[in-house]
Amino acid sequence: MQSLSLAYRQLNNLVLGKPRAIRLALSCLIAKGHLLIEDLPGVGKTTLAHGLAAVLGLRYQRVQFTSDLLPADILGVNIYQRDTGQFHFHQGPVFTQLLLADEINRASPKVQSALLEAMEERQVSIDGESHALPAPFFVIATQNPSEQLGTFPLPESQLDRFLMRISLGYPPAEAELSLLMGQDRRELLSAMQPILKEGELPKLQQMAAAVTVSPALAEYVLSLLKATRGDKRFLAGLSPRAGLALLAAARAWAMLEGRDHVLPEDVKAVFSSVAGHRLGLAGDAQSELASLLEHVAIP
Amino acid sequence: MSQDNILRCWPVLAALGVTTVPLLLQLPVWIPLLVLVMLGLRGWMLWAGRALPARWLLLCVLTAAVLVLWLTTKTLVGREGGVALLSLLLGFKAFESASRRDWQVLLALGFFLAGMPLLFDQSPLAAAWLALSLLALTWAMVLLAGAAPKGSLRTAISALLLALPMMLVLFVVMPRLPGPLWSMPHDQKRASTGMSDEMEPGSISQLIQNQEPAFSVVFDGAIPPRPSLYWRMMIFDDFDGRRWQNIRGVTQERMGLSGGDAVNYTLTLRPEKSRLPALEYVEGPSESTRMEPGGVLRLEKEGEELFRYRARSRPQAAYLTDLSLQDQQFYRRLPVGNPQTRLLAERLRLQGGDDAGFVRAALEYFRLGAYRYTLSPPLLDGDEPIDQFLFSTRQGFCEHYASAMAVLARAAGLPARVVVGYQGGEYNPVGRFWQVRSSDAHAWVEVWLPSRQQWLRVDPTAAVAPSRVSEEVTQAIPALAGGGAAGAASANWWRPVRQGWQALSFSWQQWVVGYDASRQQGLYQRLGLGDSVDSAAVTKGVLIGGALACLPLLLLWRRQKGLPPLAEGRARIVGQLARHGIAVRDSDGPLDIINKSRRLPEQEFKQLKRLFKRYSALRYGAAKPDSAQERAWLKEARRFSVTGKHLARGSPPRT
Repeated sequence: MQSLSLAYRQLNNLVLGKPRAIRLALSCLIAKGHLLIEDLPGVGKTTLAHGLAAVLGLRYQRVQFTSDLLPADILGVNIYQRDTGQFHFHQGPVFTQLLLADEINRASPKVQSALLEAMEERQVSIDGESHALPAPFFVIATQNPSEQLGTFPLPESQLDRFLMRISLGYPPAEAELSLLMGQDRRELLSAMQPILKEGELPKLQQMAAAVTVSPALAEYVLSLLKATRGDKRFLAGLSPRAGLALLAAARAWAMLEGRDHVLPEDVKAVFSSVAGHRLGLAGDAQSELASLLEHVAIP
Repeated sequence: MSQDNILRCWPVLAALGVTTVPLLLQLPVWIPLLVLVMLGLRGWMLWAGRALPARWLLLCVLTAAVLVLWLTTKTLVGREGGVALLSLLLGFKAFESASRRDWQVLLALGFFLAGMPLLFDQSPLAAAWLALSLLALTWAMVLLAGAAPKGSLRTAISALLLALPMMLVLFVVMPRLPGPLWSMPHDQKRASTGMSDEMEPGSISQLIQNQEPAFSVVFDGAIPPRPSLYWRMMIFDDFDGRRWQNIRGVTQERMGLSGGDAVNYTLTLRPEKSRLPALEYVEGPSESTRMEPGGVLRLEKEGEELFRYRARSRPQAAYLTDLSLQDQQFYRRLPVGNPQTRLLAERLRLQGGDDAGFVRAALEYFRLGAYRYTLSPPLLDGDEPIDQFLFSTRQGFCEHYASAMAVLARAAGLPARVVVGYQGGEYNPVGRFWQVRSSDAHAWVEVWLPSRQQWLRVDPTAAVAPSRVSEEVTQAIPALAGGGAAGAASANWWRPVRQGWQALSFSWQQWVVGYDASRQQGLYQRLGLGDSVDSAAVTKGVLIGGALACLPLLLLWRRQKGLPPLAEGRARIVGQLARHGIAVRDSDGPLDIINKSRRLPEQEFKQLKRLFKRYSALRYGAAKPDSAQERAWLKEARRFSVTGKHLARGSPPRT
């Protein structure tokens, strides 16, 4: 637990002025979920992903997605070995603990679905042979919402694979000033020491899953789900799977807050990040969700 | 100014606007209009984020406005002046309202202003608007306290409903003042729509076109047939050649009634010049009325409040009295002139033989003489108006016929006088009462027959236009009937609506406006509170009624008590916070509440924090629900209270 808050502080030193985004990203990983960061270039998406990998002591790979990328470029490929006369599987970059999929919406749907399948199954099947991915396995994908030309936006069903979608936004003026005046981020990153030891993250994930959800809180989540289903502002309401995702994220958030039980406020804190992309809302159109939260009574 | 503050303050301005609207009908129009404009302006300033005007500027404008007010109404006190001043001040107060407390004061003033239109008008419509104003003001109050817009109307309505029983109890139980509370001198002589002291051609036909209710009657038992509903109100005994008036030539008249069944009825009206109509012929004066010579009722004391009296009449009776020779002489007086009429009188006298025969002959003459009943007769501007009417124009209204008939009778040597009052009325089946309107005003003649020693009612109008008496006046005059089938159809459609409305206003007058000291005393006796409305009885009434009125509150409290301990405690704490301007929503969790309460004094904030930490653990924690612990928590929560006034001052910053 202590190490977790230490990690949180470290990350805050790296990505300045974004405590809420960092906390959300951390709870996403603790809840064993994949993270989608939707934002403009240069606001610190990569730095955050890199920093997360560093402090959590995870192996890290980065793939820049482009339209000519092939599934094999990510998953890996069977190569014939002349000396042994056998096919040998060469692992792609997906065989890592934390994969940063940069600009995921630039890749063709074929590549996207290959990656998303790997995210869901946590294994890769090539030529009928399954290769398990390392554990833990996270994907942090980024996309630039303002660029539309030559992109393949992720369909809703695939957005569902991401536990959370967050955006960073410009840092506040003070934070930006110290960013300008401070040390180079790359140097900081390379100097970062893993804070979690090997095997500590799975333990934390187990702990998070064990955080208490009381019947009263489950009822609250239920009324939130119901509220999205009856609302005309959304194309479709949240699914039961979304409800489970919401609870998992809220548990992780509560643990980060140092609590052994989930409060309605924890649910509220993660709600817009968990529900926004599932309800098909644009990244910045979160006022609907805020007003929804304001109107759903806590039982 | 933030969105939130606009949301809080606009409702206040809007509610004040609603409250001001009925004053448009009562005050010089520019005053309420000015107030409305000022409220609108203040709303715009909130929206545009404009700063409040400087104090000296406000003061100058205020002084100017008050000066203009004084110049128009000549006074700043009294009903009109006072209300006008109050509403003006309210408008200006909006311009120095910035903090939550200011807005609250403004709302309190609004509640006061809401009652002002009742000083002018106590109709059901005014009461309905009062209810609307109260709702608007209460709603604004709920929003100002920081409630979420959704559901705030419900809160306001339920608050008003909870207060309603108490209002009813106070209305019924509190001692009535004799006369209205606002017994102030009238500001302006309001144009009176009633009857004038004289009758000359045209004086009644103006009334006929007026549909305003004159009085309403409830009969106890059998209702006499419509043609015999003659409501006597005034006697005119002197004719000057053109107009009739009452110079009280006869000061005493012994009246005896013979035959006819008695009818009991209750009349409700706003008496003018203390005149009271009564069905012919009334047996005698009742409480606080007196009888004048001629058998007409008068109010004992002058007054214009709504008055209700019971009377007993015998419509079919013969009005017997013995006139002295002197009085007979007086009732035969005629000014010189109208020679043709005199000749006619003599001819009719000869034709008829005896006195009764003369009357019959005269009526026959009117019936067969090609006379026309019309509301717009040609002007009688000659020197001999009766001659002119009888022999050349031959068109007229009840006053023409009554005047001519009386002159004829006098010329024939019979004592005669003109009676003015009402004839007929409209039965309202919804409220089961008779409504008599200004349009039912009528004039007829009474002729004294020496042989029978009896005043005989003679209605020449009935001879000319029988439908005037058997039906409503609107049927008798084509111009009033709305002309044609379309008019009749719309009248049919409209009739039940109009009657329903009349019934409503009648019951309203009877039970709300007319709930006076005597009615209250009757109610006290029936409820067994005491024989008179004294302090002991009032105390008893207030205590018993108050206890009953608090029942809904008790139920609400019980319902809150019926909640699980955690929910009840939360509701209590939220209530405490609301009193100090910290609005907690249903969608706020324990941490949200703690965050919102940071401006509490330290002691209370610590207590609140402790309470909600424990609440979270009990409600959301891993431990199994433990009712003993929950009750212990509730006990602690009940002790939580916020004292100190400094909180109320906070909130919306001065723009």
